[in-house]
Amino acid sequence: MAYTLTRAEDAVAADNASYPLGKRQSVEDPMKQQVHRSVFTGKLADVLNSTVNWGRKNSLWPYNFGLSCCYVEMTTAFTSPHDIARFGAEVIRASPRQADFMVIAGTCFMKMAPIIQQLYDQMLEPKWVISMGSCANSGGMYDIYSVVQGVDKFLPVDVYIPGCPPRPEAFLQGLQLLQDSIQQERRPLSWVVGDQGVYRAEMPSQREKHRDRRIQVTELRTPDSV
Amino acid sequence: MSIVETDTSAATAPDQRANALVTQLREQFGDQVLCEQATLTGMPVLWVNRGVLVEVLATLRRLPEPFEMLFDLSAIDERLRSHRHGLPKADFTVFYQLLSVSGNRDIMLKVALFEQDLSLPTVISVYPNANWYEREVWDMFGVHFEGHPNLYRILMPSTWQGHPLRKDHHARATEFDPYTMTVESQDKEQQALKFKPEDWGMKRHSEHTEFMFLNLGPNHPSAHGAFRLVLQLDGEEIIDCVPDIGYHHRGAEKMAERQTWHSFIPYTDRIDYVGGVMNNLPYVLAVEKLAGIQVNARIQTIRVMMAELFRITSHLLFLGTYLQDLGAMSPVFYAFTDRQKGYDVIEAITGFRMHPAWFRIGGVMQDLPKGWDRLMQGFVNWMPPRLKEYEKAMMENSLVRDRTKNIAAFDTENAFAWGVTGPNLRATGCDFDLRKKRPYSGYENFDFEIPLAHNGDAFDRGQLRIEEMRQSVKILQQCINNMPAGDYKADHPLTTPPPRERMLEHIETMITHFLQVSWGPVLPGNESMQMIEATKGINSYYLTSDGSTMSYRTRIRTPSFPHLQQIPVLMRGGFVPDLIAHLGSIDFVMADVDR
Ligand code: SF4
Repeated sequence: MAYTLTRAEDAVAADNASYPLGKRQSVEDPMKQQVHRSVFTGKLADVLNSTVNWGRKNSLWPYNFGLSCCYVEMTTAFTSPHDIARFGAEVIRASPRQADFMVIAGTCFMKMAPIIQQLYDQMLEPKWVISMGSCANSGGMYDIYSVVQGVDKFLPVDVYIPGCPPRPEAFLQGLQLLQDSIQQERRPLSWVVGDQGVYRAEMPSQREKHRDRRIQVTELRTPDSV
Repeated sequence: MSIVETDTSAATAPDQRANALVTQLREQFGDQVLCEQATLTGMPVLWVNRGVLVEVLATLRRLPEPFEMLFDLSAIDERLRSHRHGLPKADFTVFYQLLSVSGNRDIMLKVALFEQDLSLPTVISVYPNANWYEREVWDMFGVHFEGHPNLYRILMPSTWQGHPLRKDHHARATEFDPYTMTVESQDKEQQALKFKPEDWGMKRHSEHTEFMFLNLGPNHPSAHGAFRLVLQLDGEEIIDCVPDIGYHHRGAEKMAERQTWHSFIPYTDRIDYVGGVMNNLPYVLAVEKLAGIQVNARIQTIRVMMAELFRITSHLLFLGTYLQDLGAMSPVFYAFTDRQKGYDVIEAITGFRMHPAWFRIGGVMQDLPKGWDRLMQGFVNWMPPRLKEYEKAMMENSLVRDRTKNIAAFDTENAFAWGVTGPNLRATGCDFDLRKKRPYSGYENFDFEIPLAHNGDAFDRGQLRIEEMRQSVKILQQCINNMPAGDYKADHPLTTPPPRERMLEHIETMITHFLQVSWGPVLPGNESMQMIEATKGINSYYLTSDGSTMSYRTRIRTPSFPHLQQIPVLMRGGFVPDLIAHLGSIDFVMADVDR
């Protein structure tokens, strides 16, 4: 599996540096090199890493942040009919300092973008971003003067959820995809142990993965009766 | 396809009271009243000279049957408009729409302005809620209002260049370089958002104390979306506050100028985004007026039914979040369980949950599916016991009562002055509900009541909505029992999309169909307007057609905009927790404020 490496920058970013900050590069799985060097420490690192990742992915605390309509469907996922607690992500935090991931649920307005960036910066590593809904993904149906055409113009996005708005079930699926990707991540086990880069796995595209199955559907239920 | 100018003289069947009023104004102001414009808005539209504007408004405000409320105020960029026969010359027009609750009627005044001299006197002294509307006109059109205390931008960032609703301002984001944000620009924008009390005439300290300025929002759990309030505090007491909006401005009005009449429908869903098809209703009704389409009783009833169902889901969301803001955790779980039940029905009928965009010009998207009544009956049976439970568990709860009774209370007079409509107005004891006062879409055929309360406080606003849900359930039951038979699309050449069967008759019908589906219908040049009792108050669409496939100007008047403007008046002297209770009780969503 290929990985994207982002290194924490030591220096303060220059004024003209544009968001998202930090250099990105495509690399091989760092764990592989470890195993080549010493089978024992390699295995140990692997087990430790998996355990930490397992812990991380099953207690994701979302940041209570909503922009527009999509947020209503996101909240719906938190209530009893959909019950996000099954995936360990029900502990909504009102402070970015305590949150693990941020869902950009709604339209990203130009007036709001600098504030979103500020809130993202206030979150502590490890942190992730889910972009929920067409607006956050690409501007959606709002190709208009006041809307940023996709939040990835300035934030690094981990999972995109399509829909306008996505159903709560789609949000839950997005969350699970984020969990899968967290399981594959390689992060430093401590600030004194090993390489300080963040390696994110390049996860397979869901569209390609499910395409064959999806195009086999030829008959759709008629909407004439319920 | 030929375009026919609709015969406006017949359509506006001049009602005598309106005539008498116009005559009276003409007598009083002579040729300062320039002309009366024939429109399909259903109200007299008068062009007056700038010099007498304030005086005319003051006169209307003081009539024996006064126009108590400034319902709407906005502008039109007239520079590219071609269908303006007989109207005074103008580059920009600013219009003032007044509502008389006591007389149950409206009037619109228009003032012509020219590019070299875009300025008007402010009318805040007559109608205090003109404040935000005038700021909006300044922001969107660049019209200056003399004497306005703080004429700053309201929707766009203060760093913005240009006035978006002018015809020469770009509409699309993609007409520009892709958006980038640098460390420097982010810092600059953040600095621009910094609150300076002096700009708002606020002192940093009094004789005895130094005030604290608290920034609540634009991301705060109780702010219900991207909304910011700056509080001037003396300890826990709110001395003053300044609401700051525009973090949710999606340019819906500009969008209407480049979508066809038909393809704008989905954008209306997203105005009051928890109101679903309720938003489609005023828009399609206004378009149908322009097109001259009459729909049958089945279409009307289907529309009412779906709109009322959305009223219930919207009020449920209100109830859940209102109580959550007060600190009660579980109500939101109950309310959302019920919403889910509602959505099951909505989804079965429309195929979508939140934004079905299901109404069409001249009908609805599809007939009701077989078995809809069974599902709807299930929901109608489910709700009443739940509502009873809510009343018991929540509204009789002593904590809730203590937090909300006598909090942020206002009377009917105050509501009029600030443009408050809907349940918030009815909580003050005024029974103004358009479904009864000016029935549209067949509401006159239903048997339901208008719940009222009398204290106009946060508690009443909550309680009233539970009662409103009961009435909506009652309407749903009547829809199930008496759904009329008939087509789901009107038989009219401008019904969009046109019935498919008609397309296959011969080549001419095929071409017409093709044009109407690809370009969209062409509506005759005119102006029309429709107000409805939406979930949060009165929502209206004021459409100006220039005889093309797109709207020339679409003005969307939303109820939440004035409701937020009223906050400082109510909160001065209150405490921070009261503010939170009040915010919960207003029932607003930011898309309904900023559009
Ligand atoms: S994607 Fe659709 S539902 Fe979500 S915020 Fe945008 S317009 Fe609203």
